[in-house]
Amino acid sequence: MNALTVYLVIAAVLFSLGLFGVLMRRNLIAMLISLELMLNGASINFMAFNRFLAPEPAVGQIVTLFIMGLAAAEAAIGLSIILTLFRRLRSINIERARRLGG
Amino acid sequence: MTWLLKDPVLLAASSCASLPFIAMAVILIGTRRNPKLSAAISIGAVATALIASLYLLVTLRHAPGPVEYEVAWMVSSDIHIPFGFLLDRLSLLMLVIVAAISFLVQVYSLGYMAGDPGFSRYYAFQSLFAWAMMTMVIAPGMLQLYVFWELVGLASYLLIGFYYEKWSASQAGKKAFVMTRLGDIGFFLGIITVLLGFGNLGILDMNEAAQANRIPQQIVTLGALLIFCGVMGKSAQFPLLTWLPDAMEGPTPVSALLHSATMVAAGVYLMGRIFPFFAASPDAMAVALVIGTITMLLSSTMAMATYDIKQVWAYSTVSQLGFMVMGLAAGGYFAGVFHLTTHAGFKALLFLCSGIFIHEYHTNDMRMIGRQGGRRMKVPMICMTIGALALAGVFPFSGFFSKEAVMAALAGSSNKLWLAAGLFGALLTAYYSFRLIFFILFPKKDAAPDDAHHGDGHGEHHGYTYWAMAWPVMILAGVTLVLGFSQHWLERFLTEWTAAAHGVEASHAGVHGIGHYVVLATAVSMGLAGIFWAYVEFGWKRAKQEGFLRRYPRVEAFFARRWYLDDLYRLLLDALVYCGLTNAFTRNDRRVIDGGIDGICRFTVGSGRSLSFLQSGWLQYNLVIMVAGVGLMVLFFVL
Repeated sequence: MNALTVYLVIAAVLFSLGLFGVLMRRNLIAMLISLELMLNGASINFMAFNRFLAPEPAVGQIVTLFIMGLAAAEAAIGLSIILTLFRRLRSINIERARRLGG
Repeated sequence: MTWLLKDPVLLAASSCASLPFIAMAVILIGTRRNPKLSAAISIGAVATALIASLYLLVTLRHAPGPVEYEVAWMVSSDIHIPFGFLLDRLSLLMLVIVAAISFLVQVYSLGYMAGDPGFSRYYAFQSLFAWAMMTMVIAPGMLQLYVFWELVGLASYLLIGFYYEKWSASQAGKKAFVMTRLGDIGFFLGIITVLLGFGNLGILDMNEAAQANRIPQQIVTLGALLIFCGVMGKSAQFPLLTWLPDAMEGPTPVSALLHSATMVAAGVYLMGRIFPFFAASPDAMAVALVIGTITMLLSSTMAMATYDIKQVWAYSTVSQLGFMVMGLAAGGYFAGVFHLTTHAGFKALLFLCSGIFIHEYHTNDMRMIGRQGGRRMKVPMICMTIGALALAGVFPFSGFFSKEAVMAALAGSSNKLWLAAGLFGALLTAYYSFRLIFFILFPKKDAAPDDAHHGDGHGEHHGYTYWAMAWPVMILAGVTLVLGFSQHWLERFLTEWTAAAHGVEASHAGVHGIGHYVVLATAVSMGLAGIFWAYVEFGWKRAKQEGFLRRYPRVEAFFARRWYLDDLYRLLLDALVYCGLTNAFTRNDRRVIDGGIDGICRFTVGSGRSLSFLQSGWLQYNLVIMVAGVGLMVLFFVL
């Protein structure tokens, strides 16, 4: 088992945990946290591929930085959506949010 | 245009054929707001046409043969269809009749239509009618004749449905249009038959070739029978006769008159036009004879059971047309055409007189007109009596001469049955026309008199407009008095060429003798008997004014309902068209066309609905499906 595979397995575990969380949790904040896990899994993948397969160019690192920026923005927007939803529904349960559907 | 001026005959002919059209165009485009100017234009055009046609008649009186002007219109290999004028004696005579009647009617309309909101439109239609009719009359080829024949139909549709706001009038217009169209289908097929079988549509060529047996007999018979369908439609012969009485429903006695004196005469004119062609087929002649006889008897009986003054004359027109067809079909070329000529005069007279009564008393019911004092209107009363005497065939009036000619032609045919039918028809004609006259002349008090309408300022009519109506009537009455004496001159005029060239008058020539006088005496006594019979039942002081028909209510209803012909058509229409054809088309529309579109719609809706479960609103299910989809894609691309 070489080093790349270890990183990839860790990233896959992280991604799967995040996905599991997003799919299973009803709490919107918990879903947001799970989303962060998924993003981190993806980031590890990029870093690992950059590190082991293309040592010189910094593309993977740039993508990871980009993902981090995206994650920050997503957290800000997601939290504000959650706040608005809470004001409206008095709940952050995703199943309640169904009634927003037309 | 100098070539036009160099040939005055051509100039006259083309002014007949174009001036009314120009008048119509000018009225429709320019002068609709100015009724007086419209009337002046229309009357001016038709008056010029009348003068031109009289000029043609006088100039070409001694012409050695037909004068033809032709322009090649459609040429295809050895078929060529001309467009132009054919001025022979029949067309000249008819041209004068049409122009004269149109002129008188338009003058009369000044009075009758005065103040009508559609005054300009009315004159435009009148001009259209005059144009179509006159150009049809001088057509040298069947196709041109057919084109203007249809235009006459159009003009009649417009005139019958002139009061288009009135339901019955618009219905009557449609009925006239559709029913004559039925006949015209046959006519057109006939033209095609002749074109295919003979290859030429020139009227003179057709006549000559048919007489010389250069056309196969079957083609002649088939063509003649099919063309006769057109005659049946336009001249209201037996199966297609019910539109004519309804056409009286329409606008005015004026258009009604047009339909009696010119348009419906077009059918008879057509038959006279291609008479040698017809005569070449004994079968077609026999069919025409039967149809004419049935028409004549049928409509005479219908006339006995109606109280509507115009309808009596309408039925009588139909029956007189039947007489003309009988005369022609029995080989009496001159008899048919002569009856057409005199009938145009006296039937126009009768209608115009009735128009004055209707205008005065606002009713079509002859009993009402009588009760309100119709007899006091001297001019129309005297003139109408003259017309009725002519219709009944009493001596000095024009109808006498032409009816005798028809009877002589019938007597010339081998089967005396036709003569008997003709004589019976003459009896009925005299009876129903004098039934009407006596109703107006000797009104009976016992039926509750309706004076509500009487004397409320009818004096207003007795000014200019009244005389605009009275003069044409008096002129026509004068014509009716003298026209009959022109018989011998007309006969020579009309039959000179034909007799010399084809000998078609042979059958007619044979009956001048003792037999002729017997026929003549019988016919006259039939007419007088009819008048006497009407007098006994309606005119006499103690007469109850109830026809003998009243004692047979069923028969009367049968006649009054027009032998249930309309009901029969309704039944056929329901059975064949509505239940058969329409049903099939409806089913095709509903099942196949609508069904196909519905199917496509249902498929779209159904597939959308079946996929709509994906849009549950459950965010996490959507995510699951997304992940599953991505997983499947991965599997697909990796494996």
